[in-house]
Amino acid sequence: MTTALRFEDIDVGHELPPLRLTLSSAAVRDYALAARMPAGRFTSEEAARAEGLPGQIVPGNMSLSLFARLLATSLPGTTLKRLSATFRALVHPGRALVVHGVVTEKHCTDHGDLLECDLVIESAEGDRWVTGTATVRVPGVGSRVSGARG
Amino acid sequence: MTLEFDRSILGTEFDRTAFAPISAEEIRVYAAASGEPCPAPDVAPPTFVLRQRGDRFMPANIAKLGRVGFDAGKDIDFGVPVRVGDVLTAVSTVHDIYEKTGRSGSMGFLILRTELTNQHGEQVAVIDQKMMFR
Repeated sequence: MTTALRFEDIDVGHELPPLRLTLSSAAVRDYALAARMPAGRFTSEEAARAEGLPGQIVPGNMSLSLFARLLATSLPGTTLKRLSATFRALVHPGRALVVHGVVTEKHCTDHGDLLECDLVIESAEGDRWVTGTATVRVPGVGSRVSGARG
Repeated sequence: MTLEFDRSILGTEFDRTAFAPISAEEIRVYAAASGEPCPAPDVAPPTFVLRQRGDRFMPANIAKLGRVGFDAGKDIDFGVPVRVGDVLTAVSTVHDIYEKTGRSGSMGFLILRTELTNQHGEQVAVIDQKMMFR
């Protein structure tokens, strides 16, 4: 059973346990279709090449979903308030990737206890393909500890 | 070289789409394909909102930019969650347009904003998509 984290248990610098996965071509196609993004570059190696791309690519939306998945699994019980991503390079299926993040700030606000996180999708060799940031709300349990970016 | 933008398109609404009620099956399929967990039964994973973009992806007069563009990033502010049965409306506008000059020359940026609301008038998400043009 997953236990919700408490705000006071999380410090600035807390590293989220990384997701390590390799997206198959079929998994990317399935996501694209479920996400109403049926363009050939997302669903077929051949169609992507016909568009002049080196091969099938992972939709940017899927990268955002990987960030959301990381946050949901590593910060259980929290609510995602904001999520952003910068697409720095094309992400292709069939390559090992690592999704990881770190808590950079904590804030107690009128809207609840918030954590700011930096997020990255990178290759196993450390090439950064997608970077991002997120704000998550932690269920309040009384503690009021605030910190700045470390 | 300075890029020429038609700033008159700022604020222009270029799409308004009302969707059919969200089904449990749509949420189930999205969660399965993304691996992103549903926060609660009958509640969609957060990035499900990205799926609800309007019928028209770009403004009709985007050709005035005169460049080939690509998706440079997205920023989502989440409001109330999407639930089974919700009737969502997406309204898309041209939010910003600007130029940056870097080592590789001038780049144009176009920010397209989609505001997603539910049948109660509650804000579900504000999604900014950044398109880059060289």
